[in-house]
Amino acid sequence: METFGLLLDGIFTSLQWFNLGLLIFGCLVGLFVGAMPGLGSVNGVAILIPITFIVPPTAAIIFLAAVYYGAMYGGAISSVMLGIPGASTAVATVFDGRPLAQKGDAITALSAAAVGSFVGGTVSVILFTLFAPPLAEVALAFNAPETFALMVMAFATFVGLGGDDIPKTVFSILIGLLLSTIGLDLISGKPRLILFGMPGFLHGINFLVLAIGIYGIGEMLWTLESTKGKVQMAKMEVNMNEIGKAFKKLKSTLMAMSIGSFLGFFVGILPAAGATPASLMSYGITKQLSKNSKEFGTGVPAGVVAPECANNSASTGSMLPMLTLGIPGSPTTAILLGGMILWGLTPGPLLFTQEPEFVWGLIGSLYIANFFTLVLNIALIPAFLMVLRIPFAILAPVIFVLCVTGGYAPTQSLHDVWLMLIFGFVGYVLRKLDYPVAPAVLSIVLGPLAENALRQTLILSDGSMGIFFDFGEKPIAASIMYIALVFLLMPLAGPIKRKFFKAKSA
Amino acid sequence: MTLIKQLAVVLVSFTLFAVSTVSAKPFSPKKPIELIIPAGQGGGADEIARLVQGVIEKNDYASKPVIPINKKGGSGGEAMTYVKKKNGDVHTLMITLNNVLTTPTNQPELGIDFFNDFTPLARLITDTFLVWIATEGKNTAGINTFDEFIAKAKGGSLVMGGTGKMSEDELLLGMMRGQFGFDAKYVPYSGGGAVAKGLVGGESDFTLNNPSEQMGFYQSGDSKALVMMTPERNPAFPEVPSSYELGYPDLEYYMMRAFMAPAGIDAEVRDYYTGLLHTVYWDSEFQSFNIDDGKLMSWLEGYGLKDFLAVEYDKHSVIIENFK
Amino acid sequence: MSNISSKFTVKIAEIVVAVLLAMCSIALMIKSAENRIDWTAETNMGAGFLPFYLSAGMLVCTLITIGKFILKKSPQSKDDNPFIQVGAERYIYLTVISLCFLVLATAYIGIYISLIFFLAFYLKFFSNKSNIFIGLFAYETPILTFLFFEWLLKIPLPQGYSEPLFYPVYDFMYSESSLVEKIIYIIIILFLPPALGLLSKRFIK
Repeated sequence: METFGLLLDGIFTSLQWFNLGLLIFGCLVGLFVGAMPGLGSVNGVAILIPITFIVPPTAAIIFLAAVYYGAMYGGAISSVMLGIPGASTAVATVFDGRPLAQKGDAITALSAAAVGSFVGGTVSVILFTLFAPPLAEVALAFNAPETFALMVMAFATFVGLGGDDIPKTVFSILIGLLLSTIGLDLISGKPRLILFGMPGFLHGINFLVLAIGIYGIGEMLWTLESTKGKVQMAKMEVNMNEIGKAFKKLKSTLMAMSIGSFLGFFVGILPAAGATPASLMSYGITKQLSKNSKEFGTGVPAGVVAPECANNSASTGSMLPMLTLGIPGSPTTAILLGGMILWGLTPGPLLFTQEPEFVWGLIGSLYIANFFTLVLNIALIPAFLMVLRIPFAILAPVIFVLCVTGGYAPTQSLHDVWLMLIFGFVGYVLRKLDYPVAPAVLSIVLGPLAENALRQTLILSDGSMGIFFDFGEKPIAASIMYIALVFLLMPLAGPIKRKFFKAKSA
Repeated sequence: MTLIKQLAVVLVSFTLFAVSTVSAKPFSPKKPIELIIPAGQGGGADEIARLVQGVIEKNDYASKPVIPINKKGGSGGEAMTYVKKKNGDVHTLMITLNNVLTTPTNQPELGIDFFNDFTPLARLITDTFLVWIATEGKNTAGINTFDEFIAKAKGGSLVMGGTGKMSEDELLLGMMRGQFGFDAKYVPYSGGGAVAKGLVGGESDFTLNNPSEQMGFYQSGDSKALVMMTPERNPAFPEVPSSYELGYPDLEYYMMRAFMAPAGIDAEVRDYYTGLLHTVYWDSEFQSFNIDDGKLMSWLEGYGLKDFLAVEYDKHSVIIENFK
Repeated sequence: MSNISSKFTVKIAEIVVAVLLAMCSIALMIKSAENRIDWTAETNMGAGFLPFYLSAGMLVCTLITIGKFILKKSPQSKDDNPFIQVGAERYIYLTVISLCFLVLATAYIGIYISLIFFLAFYLKFFSNKSNIFIGLFAYETPILTFLFFEWLLKIPLPQGYSEPLFYPVYDFMYSESSLVEKIIYIIIILFLPPALGLLSKRFIK
């Protein structure tokens, strides 16, 4: 009951006209920054940190959280409309969002993203309100072995994502993992694979460089070739009726919503993981459990809802380790955390009791921010659809410009822009030869997390892999590991069952 | 005719005036100043850099804004190579942490000459190091003093969480190994926050963290500090003894937060930025934030700074040499 | 040109790419071996262990692909269609070349100036828009890019040798004058040329 009172106070705090103004402005900024390829919440939050010195901490965090939230929605817009994931959290949104838009049903994709995000965000903020302190304990118990087990599970959920050609699919996974090892090795302190001695490789290969290259440049080349530069975009009507129809299609995505919300939240609260593995796993699991899993990847609303629901849910979840443990789950929360420290707050177990107004103001603002981003998103759908009306001859160079600036912005190095071009050209050639590209993108996102966790564990266990399967020593890690094995074996279950029944009937 | 003459006179004098003002005007930045951070978002260096940015922006200390840019690659190697290439650029600054003292030695292939590739401007802060254990650690329960800790550490191999191979805390572990004769298993994490969480989460037994990273757990009583590696106690941690008090004056180590510019800039430019940093240093907000956080305010510039860097660089080269 | 590319079939591309990838994998294995690639109980996993075996795995995959090609087991090994559709080559080649020029020029004359040339070239080649439209588009896009990145997001984009050109712009951006005044100037800069363009069109008619 006390919690409820505090929460109401928090909601009222964020409904004060000054805070509300900041919140709506923050949502808009986030939406816009998130929708630009290569720019994400981290840019939005970083530039606004100095502004927050002028306003009180509660207003500042409400503002920044709104930016963070808005950017999570915004990432989906670029995934759907341009086919380029705006942030690593929106990779999985491309898989089904883009085909939907190409089929001429961008309205459904955008509504699915907006509603999915809203549901995920709301469910997670409710869970956050009710269970924040005990969940902090869970997060604390989640160490290197558990993180590695979780990564194995994330990979396992994606078994079905590759193409039909198994060696080419495996090649794609391996090259993604290999690219993720480039740069300074955390565990040994040694630089690895600094190709041709270029210092640009020292910071490793940012996920966005590969994703923008493959999905931006590569996809554009593909389109240019197949249409010989004369793309006819599907014309579509936008009115409330259409949006209403799109909403009706979302009824079938209830399962995706529940998987996305809960899985997203629990993965999100784990300090190391964050929203990207959450959205990938949510997509993978929804696909595997779905009745029509074959249709995933060709444009089903559930394939948009699942990752979008999970990434919003996880970004709320990742506020938990930030607030209670002082651990950033992502670069954005790292900057938020830095901001909190600069405002004179000490993140840690005592924050909830020492600064209730701040904490509950933030949580309250998440409820409100969720609502306003949903409204803004639905209201702006016609504006987003304008993108599709732009003639391709003009849209193409604009996308190329967005790719070049987007490849440059995260690391501010031209080296990465060259890499992005190379990945784009190579990705285009490989895709034409039936090498699937999605596994490489997933691997480069999850690779570093998995490798560090694996090697940290191996130092602790003196090189023994048995620790991952030992229920007595590491119950959480072992359970996740076994679930992962089930997911790994599930695609095999189908053919075996068929064979079994065939044998019986014969 | 007279009109044209008058005009000409006005024009000429105006040009002269413009020229004279340009040459007499002291340096001021012509575009936003890039502040390179040789570490990722959310670390100690990042925090100070963004604080400096905020203080400058809030009080209009500079005519152009400061833009922090993280170049975390290669343990500072990427940032140092970048600044080295910017030789003579008057709109680039770099905040330093101790990795600038170790990376040129550790990664000779980068070809960084610490003493000739950079222009040191000023040191603002030194951050202290403490030995931390979890209050309810499974291997360290009941330990209350540094001597008890050494005895325990000598007995069995404890696990230490750190911020990366060959980073400051592992070098520090190497120093302690030489001094006290104990060794520990070193597990690298991806940042100071993760190190602190690993300690409280029971994965590691002790850490050598800066104060700010453990502050939250320290205040809640989840972790405690055994010794601060300084000559005197720090007001932010009144009950934590200093290493001098405990009779270990050799156990002294700091993290410097200094600022550098590329080599090849004019004295005028150097003085401008040193002056700017000096203004920031004496800003009341900047002072109170750092003091509350247990940091030591330690302004140093000019020859004093040069000597300090030379001493520290040699000291680190020796530590690295011993470490191998 | 089209003669060469029609001979470059999917079949040839498949084997050329597979051989190239195999060679890259070997090179990466050699490069990984600069670090320790062993994994023993005392020293734990060497820094080069994972990269080495990952690239070894890549090599195996490409070898299987080559094997399937030789045995004609993969669909690509029997495909005699040209690798790039006939008639589409020039779009692909020109896009690739112009993008490379854009990035190369960015390193020297900065992105804003390079964008003008890139957009003018690309639109002239690919669209049937009038010269006035192309000119305006090539004029507006770099300005909007500048405003968005440098002013709103405070992300400096590369300017190369064109950097001094922007000093007065920065002076204006961070001058004491009020925001309203600045916005008025920006609106004039953005909308005056299109207005003139429209006027001139009508005038010529």
